[in-house]
Amino acid sequence: MHMKTRYLRYGLMALVLLSVVYLALGFGRRSFEAFCPFGGMESLWGLHKFGEFSCTLGPLNLSMMIGVLLLALVAKKAFCGWACPIGFLGELGARLSRLLWKKQPKPSAKVNSLLKGLRYVVLALALYFTYKTGELILRGYDPFFLLFSGFGHGSIGLVSWIVLGLIVVGAFVIPMFFCRYLCPMGATFDPFSRLGLIKLVRNESTCTQCGSCQLACPHGLAPHQMVKIRHRDCTNCLECADACPEKNVLSLKATL
Amino acid sequence: MNIPRMLIPLLVLAALLGGYFLRTQFTQPTTSVAFQRGGGARLECVVDGVKCKGTAAFFTQLYDGVPGITSIETFATEHKAIFTYEPSVITPDQIRRIMEAPIPLRDGSRQQVFQCVSMQ
Repeated sequence: MHMKTRYLRYGLMALVLLSVVYLALGFGRRSFEAFCPFGGMESLWGLHKFGEFSCTLGPLNLSMMIGVLLLALVAKKAFCGWACPIGFLGELGARLSRLLWKKQPKPSAKVNSLLKGLRYVVLALALYFTYKTGELILRGYDPFFLLFSGFGHGSIGLVSWIVLGLIVVGAFVIPMFFCRYLCPMGATFDPFSRLGLIKLVRNESTCTQCGSCQLACPHGLAPHQMVKIRHRDCTNCLECADACPEKNVLSLKATL
Repeated sequence: MNIPRMLIPLLVLAALLGGYFLRTQFTQPTTSVAFQRGGGARLECVVDGVKCKGTAAFFTQLYDGVPGITSIETFATEHKAIFTYEPSVITPDQIRRIMEAPIPLRDGSRQQVFQCVSMQ
């Protein structure tokens, strides 16, 4: 019963990934970029100030952003854990990397925390440059765009290759490297980790502190040390609940 | 009260589909120019080469001063342009020829930048 959650999650993420590939290959009526919810964030200022969308962005970006923000109010960063194609690739990379390393390198808690601050810098830069110029200046560094456009209009040659290469290598060294340290979309959703209504809650009386949940968590969180799982990296992916050997220790509840 | 795990994927699906269908509430062209007041026939073209706000604006400028064109709306995300034109002055075929004509580039060469993929 428990394993079904992961299969379902991977099925849904694979469906989203295949849809993006389908659009990227030119089969759809719209560009794959039109579905990116972060584009909605980027277009807000242009819409407010000039009444028009930035660069390739359009109404669909805005409506997807609204849909995903409403989702975050209810189910935290479930978009990241259940739909994001880059998150899915990152998770597959993390699974592969476990096979490659005898002992996977792990940054210290302090370094990890410092590096996580980078995603706020990326968010600030992305919004600043888009609002300032009306163009998606960071497109050449965006793995979503570079991968699915095949280094299309807006990529910056060798620099784009180096950036994407570093992100790919990073994914094999530190699990969920891009999501943890660089994703501006993840940074946007961080406040919803607390605000989002549906969270995993640990039953302290039945938990045996075995730590299986921490081993299963793609982001390396330690649910067995929390009561309500409202860490900013939790995506409600439910891997921890799947891995828990006890019954009814980690359950989803509506709570603040 | 425990919430069933299945609710999360259902909420994700609802958000994605809801976001998709909500788009019609915000439909707005990337660039939009009305050359003169007045209506006319409508022509919708999917144009290869309209990739961003810059190329959409450039595409729109091609029709600046062209007799018979009353307005253009260009949508970068949908690679689409919607013309209103006076059929007695200009035909869809002539509109197509304008966009597909080679355009002088900065280096002095001429190159076809836009191609009409479909017209309706």
